[in-house]
Amino acid sequence: MDNKKVVITGIGVIAPNAIGRESFWQALQKGTTGIKPATLIDTTYFKSKLAGECADFKAEDFLGPKGLRNLDRATLLVASAAKLALDDACLEITEENTDDIGVVTATTVSVAFAIAKFTKEVVDDGPQMVNPALFPATTMNYPSSYVAIRYKIKGFNTTISTGHSAGLDALKYAVDFIKTGRARAILVAGVESFSFSNFVGFYKAGFLSGRKAEETCSPFDKRRNGIVLGEGATVLVIEDEEYAIQRKANIYAQVLGVKAFFDAYRTADYDPRIRGLKNSMKKVLEESGLSEEDIDYICSSANSVQRQDRLETQAIKEVFNIYANKIPVSSIKSMLGESISASGGLQLAASVGAIKNSFIPPTINYKVPDPDCDLDYVVNVSRKAEIKNVLVINFGPGGNNTTAVISKY
Amino acid sequence: MVVLKKLDQDTKAEIKELISEVIEIPVDKFTDTCKFVEDLGVDSMMALEIVAAIEKKYKIRFQDEEIPKIQELSNIFEFMEQAIKKHG
Repeated sequence: MDNKKVVITGIGVIAPNAIGRESFWQALQKGTTGIKPATLIDTTYFKSKLAGECADFKAEDFLGPKGLRNLDRATLLVASAAKLALDDACLEITEENTDDIGVVTATTVSVAFAIAKFTKEVVDDGPQMVNPALFPATTMNYPSSYVAIRYKIKGFNTTISTGHSAGLDALKYAVDFIKTGRARAILVAGVESFSFSNFVGFYKAGFLSGRKAEETCSPFDKRRNGIVLGEGATVLVIEDEEYAIQRKANIYAQVLGVKAFFDAYRTADYDPRIRGLKNSMKKVLEESGLSEEDIDYICSSANSVQRQDRLETQAIKEVFNIYANKIPVSSIKSMLGESISASGGLQLAASVGAIKNSFIPPTINYKVPDPDCDLDYVVNVSRKAEIKNVLVINFGPGGNNTTAVISKY
Repeated sequence: MVVLKKLDQDTKAEIKELISEVIEIPVDKFTDTCKFVEDLGVDSMMALEIVAAIEKKYKIRFQDEEIPKIQELSNIFEFMEQAIKKHG
């Protein structure tokens, strides 16, 4: 089963700073931020005002004008990204191939808003008067199911809700399905939508920047003091290499390995020993058949939270030893915000762009160095570089740690 | 919410408007006798949404066994007229 190679053949991106694969790569290369004062919600009574919203997104541009009325924002975002990815991969789903094609979607927090909307109607108007069409979106697997229904995908349909690492966990799930021969092509999706529910939840739990200090999304910078929430959707089409070649698909990159390690510590807290994160990094290098010096770029999970950025830096140092200072590391979350389960997919799409267009996206908003964070973070402006292997990291408070290696094909 | 005394032309137009919003077809593009499923592409969720919207607006209850009998807009009008007669 390990002989099968897994390749990426289609990319659909709806991000705060760009829509579409090429525009996204250009925006990353220019260091264009998608973080602006929030418009989807009223932030009057909060100290935090910023968000990474997909402000230019119009679902009807991708899905047509009809049938969208009862779809929640996460579903609209991911269904639109799926359209872009399927077109990009020139993958036509037919009665003949549909049983060999699946969809796996990473999403965790977006559903909160749909539940609130449904519950509000029950409370306001009474349970007899509730609009039944609001109910489907209250289930966490609705975005994935809608993608499967809309594009007639019948192989399988799964939702992964492991929070910060869900994007790469979805990739791992898909890679395993291909390597075991249970599917030939898979839509690996990731989505979160920005909403009042998420904003208030993260704000009250003390995760948002701006509550106690200057509001900033500046990973690795000493001023960092919490996340700016983002949103977005990506869909990557990944395939069995043999199938991709057979149908003459354009191959962007190869997935060399994905490894997940769980190290739960306390609720919403990091394990200070970072065993899970280090293990996932070591094991993914092993699985990929690479040594430390083979990694040309680390697409970081740093999100401007004090401990997240420091612990990730520490893990990179302990795993990469003498090479740690030689490998460029950057966080695209500096431009997009923290979009939880959508982050992994955005990082994967960015990594493919880095390989294809030979650049390293910058960590923007970097001003004040932190002695605890002292790697090569490619600050503020992107860098030209030939890139063969990218290590992509996903982790967060909660114990899920997943890393992947994406390589030039 | 409206307490309905009789089903006049204005109310009928209002109901047609409400259905038009759910099925996303302009009011001038369908008639009282267009078949919901065959002609207008109404699916089961849209049917439930139409029923819920009418119930909410006119404080009328459709019984579960009555819903499948609704094939077209005229059936909704008939049902509502009966309901008004029954409950005055």
